[in-house]
Amino acid sequence: MKKITILNGDPGNRAYELDSYMGEIENLLESRGHEITSFVLRRMDISYCNGCWGCWVKTPGECVVRDDSAQICRSLIGSDFLLFASPVIMGFTSAVLKRACDRLLPVIHPYFEIVTGEVHHRARYEKYPALGLILERGADTDQEDIEIIRDIYSRMTVNLKSELRMMRFTEDSAEEVADAIDSI
Amino acid sequence: MRLTVFNGSNRGKASNTAILLEQFLAGFIEQAANEYETLYLIHEKDQTRCVEAFKEAETVLLAFPLYTDCMPGVVKTFIEYLEPLCGRDGNPALGFLVHSGFPESVHSHFVRRYLEKLSRRLGCRCLGTVIKGGSEGIRAQPERMSRKLFRLFFELGRIFGKTGQFDKKIVGQFARPVRFSKLGLLGARLGAKMGDMLYWNRLLKKHGAYDKRFARPYEPDKQ
Ligand SMILES: Cc1cc2nc3c(=O)[nH]c(=O)nc-3n(C[C@H](O)[C@H](O)[C@H](O)COP(=O)(O)O)c2cc1C
Repeated sequence: MKKITILNGDPGNRAYELDSYMGEIENLLESRGHEITSFVLRRMDISYCNGCWGCWVKTPGECVVRDDSAQICRSLIGSDFLLFASPVIMGFTSAVLKRACDRLLPVIHPYFEIVTGEVHHRARYEKYPALGLILERGADTDQEDIEIIRDIYSRMTVNLKSELRMMRFTEDSAEEVADAIDSI
Repeated sequence: MRLTVFNGSNRGKASNTAILLEQFLAGFIEQAANEYETLYLIHEKDQTRCVEAFKEAETVLLAFPLYTDCMPGVVKTFIEYLEPLCGRDGNPALGFLVHSGFPESVHSHFVRRYLEKLSRRLGCRCLGTVIKGGSEGIRAQPERMSRKLFRLFFELGRIFGKTGQFDKKIVGQFARPVRFSKLGLLGARLGAKMGDMLYWNRLLKKHGAYDKRFARPYEPDKQ
């Protein structure tokens, strides 16, 4: 049994199939005994990070802006697996998802450390979830877009003290995706 | 030349982005016929004014800080608003400035790939991406510590104003180090320690939060 947090970045302004697809995945994962917390980001009150560093130097570990992003940070730290889900829009995951990702800063620590020969930040917690990504391709999405997304998310996971363990598409069957998550 | 500048920092007018752009633009208007307009993405209620400005622009400079190895959310919002302009005739030439807190330019290489692909997607002639690491201290430190950097940004702007190109030599200089060498890493370790002490600890103490710096408010209860 895994604790799984899902961040659904469907902006809801178009006929994406992501919502219904994620519904299917969530049901399947629950039926296999996993505990799911799913956030539909567009329905939440999450403002843009204002870059104040308050979460590091004023109220360490918590954003000074008290909105729904705190729920995500809490759920993430309590999870074994964090699944990002988004349509590909203009070659990248949605703005709704990126805005939420910018608000994950509280879960890491300001102090610097060298990771694989590069400067990064230190962990605040002992354990971080493994990460996965589900994409719904757009009409204009090509292989280059997918590679760029994969590479940027792989780097983002270094900062989240984790690894990108899975990347799938809404063309894949829900069983396949659930199997992949089971095996992590 | 008419330049339309988009400042994509979440800190808006009080950003490092704004300080770097100020130097660049001072150089840019050395050429008497040059003019520019700056829009702050974060200060806009919705992005329609920015999209209009983009549509009418001749040359665009999109500048932002690296946020989680990519563009800040507000910049992605703006990019999504540009979708209807993909492939339209008369889109502006497009240049980028990305700067990061971390000192090496490698952190920004990935978003550069994205931005250059974005130019192609929009059908904009891409003027390239200027990358500068180690930008977080700029707005906090005394101006004299940034004198050389400011001079280079002024020069970059001046040459851009004359030629419409980013000067390769200055861009190359900003890009160093791409990564630290073995020896460089020794210095970087020391720099990291200094950063912890002189930057983070100072701020933590200023806000009376030093003793709580390792707080884990979201730690699951251990039962
Ligand atoms: C939410 C957030 C995420 C950031 N992510 C990165 C990062 O991944 N890599 C990096 O080098 N700097 C990162 N930074 C640091 C900024 O790029 C740096 O502080 C920059 O100087 C801010 O510029 P501005 O004042 O123009 O906004 C991040 C800052 C914030 C607030």
